[in-house]
Amino acid sequence: MELAITGLGVVAPFAVGAAAHREALADPSLAAARAFDGPVTALPAAELPQARIAEVRGFDAARYLGDKGLRNFDRLTKFLIVAAKQALEDAGLKRDGAWIARRPEEVGIISATAYGSLDAITELNLVAEREDPRYINPARFPNTVVNAAAGYVSIWEDLRAPNVTIVDGNCGALDAVLTAETHLAHERADVFLVGGGEVVSEPLYRALRKLELVSEGDGPWAPGESHGHGMRVGEGAAYVVVERPADARARGARIRGRLLGYGTAFTAPESEALIVHPSVDGVARAIRAAVRDAGLGAGDIDAVVCAASGLERFDAAELVGIGRALHPDVLCAAPKAYCGETFGAAGAFGLATALAWLDGAPVEPVLCGRPRARLEHVVVTTVGFYGNVSAVVLGRASTAERHP
Amino acid sequence: MSRRVFVTGLGAVSSIGLGRRAFWESLAAGRSGASPVEGFDTGTIGRSIACEVKGFRARDWMTAAEARRMGRCSQFAVAAARMAVEDAGIPARLLATERTAVIIGTTMGEADVISELESAWIHRGEEAVKSRTINRYGTTLLPIHVARAFGAHGMTQTLPAACAAGNYAIGFAADQIRAGRADVAITGASEIIEKLQFAGFARLGAIAPERCQPFDLNRKGLLVGEGAGMMVIESEDHARARGARILAEIGGYGLACDAHHITRPHPEGEGSVQAMRRAIEASGLRAEDVDFVNAHGTGTDANDKVEALVMHKVFGDRARSVPISSMKSMIGHCMGAASALEAVSCVESIATGILPPTLGYETPDPDCALDLVVGAARTAKVDVVLNNALAFGGYDAVLLLAREGVLPDTVGRR
Repeated sequence: MELAITGLGVVAPFAVGAAAHREALADPSLAAARAFDGPVTALPAAELPQARIAEVRGFDAARYLGDKGLRNFDRLTKFLIVAAKQALEDAGLKRDGAWIARRPEEVGIISATAYGSLDAITELNLVAEREDPRYINPARFPNTVVNAAAGYVSIWEDLRAPNVTIVDGNCGALDAVLTAETHLAHERADVFLVGGGEVVSEPLYRALRKLELVSEGDGPWAPGESHGHGMRVGEGAAYVVVERPADARARGARIRGRLLGYGTAFTAPESEALIVHPSVDGVARAIRAAVRDAGLGAGDIDAVVCAASGLERFDAAELVGIGRALHPDVLCAAPKAYCGETFGAAGAFGLATALAWLDGAPVEPVLCGRPRARLEHVVVTTVGFYGNVSAVVLGRASTAERHP
Repeated sequence: MSRRVFVTGLGAVSSIGLGRRAFWESLAAGRSGASPVEGFDTGTIGRSIACEVKGFRARDWMTAAEARRMGRCSQFAVAAARMAVEDAGIPARLLATERTAVIIGTTMGEADVISELESAWIHRGEEAVKSRTINRYGTTLLPIHVARAFGAHGMTQTLPAACAAGNYAIGFAADQIRAGRADVAITGASEIIEKLQFAGFARLGAIAPERCQPFDLNRKGLLVGEGAGMMVIESEDHARARGARILAEIGGYGLACDAHHITRPHPEGEGSVQAMRRAIEASGLRAEDVDFVNAHGTGTDANDKVEALVMHKVFGDRARSVPISSMKSMIGHCMGAASALEAVSCVESIATGILPPTLGYETPDPDCALDLVVGAARTAKVDVVLNNALAFGGYDAVLLLAREGVLPDTVGRR
């Protein structure tokens, strides 16, 4: 695999926009404070006073998209459209909403989510259960379909090449990298938006709370540490723009980084009674496959964007798996400390973080390993709840590619 | 290494039969699966007919432990996958590897599980929500359960591509085999009928009162259906090495997005035309090579009119002589599972030379002047079939299936 990343769009709890995202990651502690400090508005705070979430506070889609045509969009759709619009402009494909490079038929989108339509389903279920199914709003019904949000992105941005939604739990946005490579190889498109989005919703939060998976209150919380005490849920969306390297060079595009390898694995639990379980084997196999796909060796990997979220068993398994697949002093850090667990979007935020690291942003918070003066290759991992794991290898772009 | 991908096993859970044979015999005989909904109360919804799978017993296809950890959608998927694996005669050891991919499509996934969870929460509060039920929710789980059933430990992925999900899944699975990332895949799609979804389609005015009449002048909409269609597909090398029976070859597939409206097709069918043409080109064929088109054919005014227009754009003067049929008139619109069940049927058409009929066609629509297979099944030469899926969200996915030996060596290069 070799794909060029030529654009980035981010709607994160601590920053909106590629430049703001990079600037915020210069000081990860400040980013974490922005993400988690402040009032909770995505949940009924009075009923859930201990909730601590990484929320995109004060997000106003109209500021980025204008105020027309947004009425029936749900929060996820607005996140996705804003991130997509920014990414296309960052890649130099669009300016002021108009195509300046490429045609609509050449540009597609691969978008991941894990629980994307849950909010909309709940909205209509509340009407159906409390009143009657005949009163549900037909204009809101399409939002209950998982691929609606990405469908709206294609409509808004006029993307007529393939539109693919992926659900693979926490791994979807990295799986989107493989999907983009597949469709580019078959010339089904020339450019893809690759990433995903997720929103904090009351039913999702309550379900995770019921399963005792969330960290609540103001006690210590640190992904990857033994006192993880559960995850803190986050939200947002991110897309990278992906092209064939030759195409990117031909149009004089700035190359932010390179996608070099992909690997995935699934390991079932040994117990018949279990569904949710961590897998050391899955982590190790997915990373090894990604490194092999990149044509690299374990020693070539300088750092890992870990999936660690604060779920102690999962975080511990991931670190053991990374240790098995790579070398013992590989630098591992857990950026969910400043964006929370974003499930289907996690891989997209991982890609954005890896680009920032390759661009010199501090690798924090460090879980283990030795820092290197300069990063050339970074692995991003995503760890699902069911033994599914995906990994991607990113490589640094040359100075000439970054400043064409 | 060969880039050919073969279909070697089929499985179906449908309103007209469980298992490959029962499903196909009903399709060929023109039996309808429409009946009053029994799964929930339709009293105030205004529509009450659907193509429900009745008489499905999960325990016929899985252990008690498996059945307990799944919702109905995953149960359909696992049952259909087991049917397909049995049909393929593939040894268990060849599936229990990391070279087996499981790629499954759906629209709503475990919709009954979320309905149960939310009903408990809304009426009785958070305390009434059961943790074990939460663990059964997640669209992600469909391929996880299927992979687990066979000990597969490679790629797992759900493609929620609405009504095109089956074609998306089968096409992508074939891509991965061609790329050398897998040797064999269990692929297809699964869907269930659930109250909220049923009410939503009724509120959109999309559901017909009694029957689905694709391409008829007086068509009144779709009937919601449910089920699962699964296939075992293998690389040529893998299939030959184990002496597998080849049912059909997967050709190219075409994907495009209308980028027009979230529920309505593009009025000129632009994305659909692109998808059909690309499926043919990617197979190394020409439009005149196509023997039969399995229509998306929902029975809605907008879909059928645009699909007919698309047929004319793709086939030109031949549009009135290429046989086309919509099995949604028999099994309803099975949403995510639709194109997967229809792909199963397409393989059967290739194997038998039988084209299943479109039911309910009585009055020709001048806007839909096509060679529709009506009344009863038709026998024909069937070497190359196009399976249309023109879906919600502007997702257009068209899959080409062919008799073994028909496609050129260039298949799948694009």
